[in-house]
Amino acid sequence: MRGERISLELTGSDATAYALAASPGFAKDGLCFAATSGGLYRSTDGGDCWESLPIVEEQGAQMAATAVAVSPSFDQDRTVFAAVKGGILRSSDGGDTWFAAKFPAPPPLFTTLAISPYFAQDGLMLAGTMEDGVFSSTDRGVNWQPWNFGLFDLGVLCLAASPHLREDETILAGTETGLYRSTNGGRAWRESGFPSEFAPILSLAYAIGKDESLLFAGTEGKGLFISCDDGASWDRSAPNSLPGSVNQLQILYKPDGRAEIYALSEDGVLRSRDAGQNWEFLAEAEDPPTAFLVPDPSGEAMFLGLAGKGIVQYEL
Amino acid sequence: MSEKAPFHSRKTYRPGLVFQPQAQENIKRGLNTLVSAIRPTLGPTARTVAVTSLIENKDSPEVLDDGGIIARRVIELHRRDADVGAMLARALICRQNERMGDGSATAAVLLAAIYNGGLHYLASGGNAMRLRHHLERALEKSLVALDEETYTVEGKRKLAQVAESICHDAELAKLLGEIFDIIGAYGRLDIRKDHSRILRREYVEGMAWDSGLFSRDMIVDRVELQTVYEEPALVLVDSKVNDPRHIMPMLEIAVDQKIEKLILVAAELSAEAMAGLMMANGKLKNFQVMAVRGPGANADERAAAFEDIAIATDAKTLVEAAGDSLKDVTYGHFGRARRGWASAHNFGVIGGKGNPRVLRQHISRLQRWLEQSDDPQMRETLQKRIGRLMGGSATLWIGGLSEIEIDQLKTLAEKTASAMRAAVSDGVLPGGGMAYLNCRSVLESRSQAGDDPDERAAHRILFDALAEPARAIYENAGYEPGEVIAKLSDLDNGFGFDVISGAIADGGELVDSAAVMKAALRNAVLTAGMMLTIDVIAHRQTPEIARQPG
Repeated sequence: MRGERISLELTGSDATAYALAASPGFAKDGLCFAATSGGLYRSTDGGDCWESLPIVEEQGAQMAATAVAVSPSFDQDRTVFAAVKGGILRSSDGGDTWFAAKFPAPPPLFTTLAISPYFAQDGLMLAGTMEDGVFSSTDRGVNWQPWNFGLFDLGVLCLAASPHLREDETILAGTETGLYRSTNGGRAWRESGFPSEFAPILSLAYAIGKDESLLFAGTEGKGLFISCDDGASWDRSAPNSLPGSVNQLQILYKPDGRAEIYALSEDGVLRSRDAGQNWEFLAEAEDPPTAFLVPDPSGEAMFLGLAGKGIVQYEL
Repeated sequence: MSEKAPFHSRKTYRPGLVFQPQAQENIKRGLNTLVSAIRPTLGPTARTVAVTSLIENKDSPEVLDDGGIIARRVIELHRRDADVGAMLARALICRQNERMGDGSATAAVLLAAIYNGGLHYLASGGNAMRLRHHLERALEKSLVALDEETYTVEGKRKLAQVAESICHDAELAKLLGEIFDIIGAYGRLDIRKDHSRILRREYVEGMAWDSGLFSRDMIVDRVELQTVYEEPALVLVDSKVNDPRHIMPMLEIAVDQKIEKLILVAAELSAEAMAGLMMANGKLKNFQVMAVRGPGANADERAAAFEDIAIATDAKTLVEAAGDSLKDVTYGHFGRARRGWASAHNFGVIGGKGNPRVLRQHISRLQRWLEQSDDPQMRETLQKRIGRLMGGSATLWIGGLSEIEIDQLKTLAEKTASAMRAAVSDGVLPGGGMAYLNCRSVLESRSQAGDDPDERAAHRILFDALAEPARAIYENAGYEPGEVIAKLSDLDNGFGFDVISGAIADGGELVDSAAVMKAALRNAVLTAGMMLTIDVIAHRQTPEIARQPG
């Protein structure tokens, strides 16, 4: 792998990068964020330098940020969200100032954030939690409500909003014991056709193809599953390349509309250019990988979070 | 001046037997009399029926547009032979209304058409038993055809369309569409009267039961009049806790395990045991306990509620019948939740920490029982249990300009909600009678080419009868049924006639609950088949059937 270097060094044995997010205009503005056990970090130069953002202090140190998400219309609204224990913080100026939203006690532990692809129009955002199910906001993250009708498992590990959310209002939630599907923008949930014996579901992603949409679900220890019928039925994908856990998924659309799928396994990051049929290793990790991000559709660079180490930047 | 007979006076009749042809003629007369009163209520442009009040000295009649309620109000026809036919029809209509909440008028119209057609055939020498047999076989074919027309509806807009096709009230339909989009077929919906002038809805998170704290002294929040615990543990005892010493093991475990909030759910609690808990609240540091009465009006309901709470929170109920008592409690009996709350009359749990897989299995089991049960009370109980376990509930508040308007709207909302549940669960069909018209194609060949005359007749009778609901809807709206049906027959199955706009419409815009339509057809055919085989009427001293319908 070319150009491997430590981009952000985190100290401490439990130092972990939980999530990474980049501005949609990363190629121009070089803006990206990292939610870590040491708080929230921001880089404005494509990951060369990172600054710790003073969001919430706990016992004299920055409180851990467990998730981060950037608005798809960041160019216009400069909106970023970060989850910390008990709350979600919102910035409307690219991370300079932050506002906290209120949540009911006991404080929820957020695991994931999902933003509507039509965020500029609908202001819809969802947050998954360890024990409180899904919270939803329809006013750009100012007010949040729990919406857990039909969600029997409140341990939500991942969320994915349909690329056609405006038409189908579909959102998926992966939990410890199965996959749930909402067809009304996250207000009510029904079990989907995913075989529950393969749960927990750690990662979800939609990929829009020319003729069909594909849905990917990464499990804990049981590989990657693909559905071609919007989650009604599932098939195991590439059991040899991805035999174990698939902790994170990312879909990247090339300028010609082709989708590339990136998956984070226990061993590193893999890429598929043929709808999940074949996979190639991009980065094999010596330390346990915790999160990754390919910030730019050109796919030339990648950030990889490694447990106890920090964030490593690769040139692909 | 003539004196009104008191409503509850019981006329006595002489016993007697009525043979053919009088028996069938009079049954037909009674059936058609009742159905004639209900037929005008079919469709979105239903006309009304004025029913004189059952209450003495109340002069204003009730004005009704619901076939089920009209049938319920007709408790007896004057002529006792005809009354038999009317009461058999009434039983069918009431059953349809109770079970499905909709489709009463459709069932009535179908019943009359099948019975009249069948009687006409029997007069020409047909065999009643064989006709009945073939009607039931033709029914099966029709139901399969209806299954093929059935499709599911999702999304609040589509569901609002379904609701509007049932209640014909756009505002109510919009709210019910949204509510059922969220709660689904099994979710809990309370429909309550409101003091405002509008309709509104409210959603509540978690599971809640209609039983509250044993003592108001345990209410902590004096403004909201409730107590809310974060991360509470729960202990469930299905018997009375008499001895205050029995609470000590529970308190010791709570202190040992550093449990700060505890909810004791017990069938009963003695004053001494309550005093012990209040003392613990005062003396133990970082510890609070509240005691809640076990939900349920009787032992069965209580056992069911304890089972549900235990599964939702991973608690183990201390069951008196198994020899358990609160003094035997271990840490393994304790359940957990993210939040628990109780007021004087209710208590609830949010984020119960039971095993989601076990909870899913439990809900599936309750759903199977619900599907298999025919007992309305049992169905209601199961529906409530499942609704609670779904993790939230909705309340529809019915406001209006007057008490009468609110009452009428509440009845309409309840009826619509019942039919909506069936539509969400079992799907929908093209509305306005179109589904029945479409499914006639499976009967057509047999009605003309069958070898057996009884079979041909049965298929023809059902073929003709299946057009009657559409004919009634068009007639009630002031259209000539023959013309409309002829127009529709030139088009594909995907089109229907919208009697409101008076235009041909896309079938997707006119929908009916599939379960309601199938139940109406099934009930009508089975009842008509049974009625066609009646040869003799035997009157007893008092016509009991008239007094115990359904």
